[in-house]
Parts: sequence; structure tokens; C-alpha cells
Amino acid sequence: MIRELGALTRRELLRMARNPQAIVTSLLLPILYLVLFGQAFNLENLGSGQIPPAYFLMAFRGAPSYFSYFAAGMTGFVAVTATLFIGANVIFDRLFGVLKRTAATPATATSIFGSRLLAGMIQPIGLAFLVLGLAILLGHLGLAGLSVTASVSFLGAAEVVLAIVLLSAMFASLFIAIGFSLEQPQTYFAVVNAINLPVLLTSAALFPWGTMPVWFQNIASYNPITLAVNVLRENLFAGSSAYYPYDPAVYLLGLFVWGVAMFIVAVLLARRALAPRK
Amino acid sequence: MTAPEAIVVQGLSKTYNGSVKAVENISFSVHAGEAFGFLGPNGAGKTTTVAMLTAGLLPTAGNARVDGVDVFAQPEALKQRIGLVFQESTADSDLTGRENLDLAAALFNVPRREVRRRVDELLERMQIGDAADRLAKTYSGGMRRRLELAVGIIHSPRVLFLDEPTLGLDPQGRAGFWRYVQELRKDHGMTVFVTTHYLDEADSLCDRLAIIDHGHIVATGTPSELKDRLGGDVVTIRPVRPDPRTEELLRAVPGVVSVSAQDGTFRVKGPQGEALVPALVEACARSSIGLAGVSLKRPSLDEVFLEFTGREYREDEGMTATDRAVRIGQFQQAAGRARR
Repeated sequence: MIRELGALTRRELLRMARNPQAIVTSLLLPILYLVLFGQAFNLENLGSGQIPPAYFLMAFRGAPSYFSYFAAGMTGFVAVTATLFIGANVIFDRLFGVLKRTAATPATATSIFGSRLLAGMIQPIGLAFLVLGLAILLGHLGLAGLSVTASVSFLGAAEVVLAIVLLSAMFASLFIAIGFSLEQPQTYFAVVNAINLPVLLTSAALFPWGTMPVWFQNIASYNPITLAVNVLRENLFAGSSAYYPYDPAVYLLGLFVWGVAMFIVAVLLARRALAPRK
Repeated sequence: MTAPEAIVVQGLSKTYNGSVKAVENISFSVHAGEAFGFLGPNGAGKTTTVAMLTAGLLPTAGNARVDGVDVFAQPEALKQRIGLVFQESTADSDLTGRENLDLAAALFNVPRREVRRRVDELLERMQIGDAADRLAKTYSGGMRRRLELAVGIIHSPRVLFLDEPTLGLDPQGRAGFWRYVQELRKDHGMTVFVTTHYLDEADSLCDRLAIIDHGHIVATGTPSELKDRLGGDVVTIRPVRPDPRTEELLRAVPGVVSVSAQDGTFRVKGPQGEALVPALVEACARSSIGLAGVSLKRPSLDEVFLEFTGREYREDEGMTATDRAVRIGQFQQAAGRARR
């Protein structure tokens, strides 16, 4: 089981590394948001100094600027854009016979699914740190940039990584489940696009928490992207914990629950897809 | 002593969507170490049968054992014992040939200490050693087929299923592929179950055959047995002009088993074709029946198929007899070169 899981995961990672287009496409949307949307949408310039800085601090939940608040959101969003291709690969593997070949070996459905999930958890970590690094770099280029105002401890860094891993696991499970349920790539991308935007727009990745109406905050509180970016923001911005009702551990727990739920759905669908046809 | 059975199939049926009968109540067995051909036109039920025997498809009825394992009760145990080469390419294009084999070795639990040796050996044997570290997507059709075969046998299976493995290959590629299969049989005593709609391949490579048509097995036996059931060689006599006496006259020649007439041409069957030709020609000459042509044909599987199914073999839709003759000739030449 361990051996086949390792071999299949290696195969997934090799495929990813050999298809840089998928990596570039995964990064494209978050980077465009950072260099276009993030630069143009400088909320703290509103009011020409009439609005007290404390208001912005409250609106951005302790982040020193809208860009810093938003950059943490984009770092979480990478987990969504990067795992999208994991599900697409399931469809392409079915179309090109690779899934059929794998199902003809003694490899279990759990390993076949698990290898894709593992690869889907590993790849976004690097990409998330690339986005984080770019957001910091922009600030050194005279543009709006991410300011990390907290001194990030080892535990804090581990929490940030874990949040990205759990968010990636949840979305990788979701997209793999969709991949096992659909047969055509065009249907897959249509479904995934129909999921992506609503998930992003109902999260706290883009919108300042303080400007949201309460009903929107209630929805956003349970959104997995919100849970992950809450962990990031609490760890990156000094004093931000005062603006969050819970410790990062609670948000991580919420992400874990999301992940387990999606994992169960995806395993069931993978087993059904890989079982002998009736 | 009779060889033990590697494959035993009893009353196997598959009906799709409750009404489309792909395979209907087939039973047969394959001896250990034998090359068994499953022959039939497109849509006859060959691939459905392979899918069931390799635990990829559940049957509607019946049971099957492969290498002593109940196919439908123990699919995991079965997969460890069999190799499967699909008719389409299933190797991973984004991996190199070597990586494809390494992956297959891990999935089939080939002992780690043996993997390197076995992978190297197969790459060399399949003549893709020079391209071992190239991505499979850069391989030619023949190389990909050989890689598929290598992946299918990386774990030294007891029974190898080949589902139309040479489909789309040129005659030389096909001949080469079969040479590797024959070597494997010789070296490892592997049982080979092959589906094909190339009659020439089945004739020259298989120990025994089953002919399947519309989901039913219509005949089984060795290629020679099946041909013998036709009643011997066929001499075709074409008189210059119609003569009502001809059929009766030919029937009276000693050694003639049967005579049938169609469009003014007579098909005369008999066990000793060479001896029959002069006697038939002489009989016609004695009665002053002029002949426009005489030909002798050994029974082929085309005729076996015609005999058992009542219609011409639909080997390749739209292929003329001349095209087929040319193709068979090319295959035989290539097979000769490969043997040398």
C-alpha cells in the first residue's frame, strides 16, 4: 500500500513538473489580482485622511493595509487554482487510458485517489509561498505590497503551512471527486468555474471584513478559504488576534472538518469509478 | 497427460442496458502454456470477454477461473497473476519508458531488488533501451506497443491477455510484436489469450482458436482442425462456356467430396487438392469441356469463418480482396524477416 502510494504520488508530481503550463496557469489569476486589482483597489486612500486609521485596522482585521489583507487572501486562493488541475488530470487520465491501465493493476482505489490527493497537497505549498514572496517584493518596488508586521514564530509558520495544506486537501478532494464523476474536460471546467468564483466571492479573501454586512460575514465565516486566510492573517499581522473571535487552531479544526467531509465524498466516488463496470 | 487449465469459462454472458447481448452463454477452456486466439469481427464480443476475464467488467451470468482464481470473487488476487495489454495505448505519455516500467513494477509489487534488472532486461528485449529515458509521448506507434507489452509482463504474469494488441501497426511492427510474444511463451511458459481480427495472425500464432460471432462461440479447435472440418482443399474450375454436364461430371471424379456451383464457377472440395487437379482437368477434357481457369486453394481461416458463420469475414470494412492479399503477403514477408 505504502509502496504503490509512493509510486503513484511520484508519478503525479513528475507530471506536474513536466507541465509548467499548469503551474503558470495556477499562478496567473492570483498574480493578476495582486498586480492589478490589489494595486488599483487601495481602500485606505479613500476619504483623503478623513477616516481614522483605527477604522481601517478594524475593517482589515489588524492588517496594516488593504493590500496586506488582500495578499493573505490571494495566498489562500492559490490552493484553489493549483488543485483545479488535479481534478482535470483524472479526466485526462481516463480519456487517455492511464486510469484503465492503473485499475488493471492490484493498486487499490484508495491509493489511486490518495496519490492524487497527496500531490494536490504538496504542490500548492510552493506556489502559495511564491505568491506571498511576490506580494512582499511588490512593496519593495515602490508599489503596494504585503507588510508582515508580526514576528512569525515557528509554530505560526507551521500553522500557515498547515492551513494551506488543509485548504489544498479540501479543494483537491473536491476537484478529484468532480473529476471521477464527469467524463468530458469541457464539462469539468464548466463545473469548476461555476464553483470557483462563488467560493472566492463568498469568502473573506477579497472583501474587507469590516465592510461586510452581518449576513455576509455569517456566510463567509464557514467558507474554507476564510478559515485558511484567518490563520494566515492572525500569524502575519501583529495584534490581529484581537479582531478574530478564535485562535488559529479553531480555524484549522474547521478546515480539517471540511477536508474530511470532502475526502469521504471523493474516496466513495473514486471507488465507484474504479470498480469493475456493471 | 493433459495440461492443466489456465482459463475455465462457464456460461458467461453480458447484457448491456438490459437488452444489448454482447456475449451470450459462452464456455471454453484454455490449457496452461497455450496460445489461445479469440477470433471474430468488430463487435463480436471479444473485448467484452477480455474485460470480464480481467475483472474490469462484471458479467450478467456465468463464472470464470483464471490460473485457479475465481475472477469475480477474487479480483485483487487475479490482477496479480495476469498481464493485460489493451488495444489502445495506455502508457503514461508524460513519463519516460523506464518510468512507466518502474511504476508498473511498484504497482505489481515486483521485489525491489529485482526491479532494475527486470526493467533493463525488458527495455532491451523490446528494443526500446535507447529510448528508455525519453518521454513515451515521443515514441512511434510500434515502440509504444512494445512498451505496452513490457508494462503488461513486468511482473511475469502466469496468463497474458492481449486485446487486439497489433491494431494499427504496420506488417513489420505486427510481426516484431508477435516475435516478442512467442519468445515470452518459450522462455516463461506463459499462457497467452489473444483477441484479434487478423486471421493471418491467428492462423500462424495460436495453438487453438475460438471463433466468436454475435456473442456466441461458433467453433473451437486448432487452426488445422478447423480447416479440416471444411472437407479438404478447394479446387475452383471455371469452364469457358456453361455446360449442364459439368457438375455431374466433376462429382464423379474419385476423391471429390462435394461440388458447388456459383456464377458458372465450380468449387470442388477434396482431401488431396494436388492429386485432384489433374483428374478434374482430364475429366473435363474427355468430355470436351474447355476450361478458362483452374485454381487450387488450401482452406484458410477466412473459409472457416465463412463455413461457421455463413458469411464473409468482416475483417476490415471496405478492404478489397486484393488489398487483403497484399496485406497478408506483407505480413508474411515481415514475419519471415523477423524470424531470420
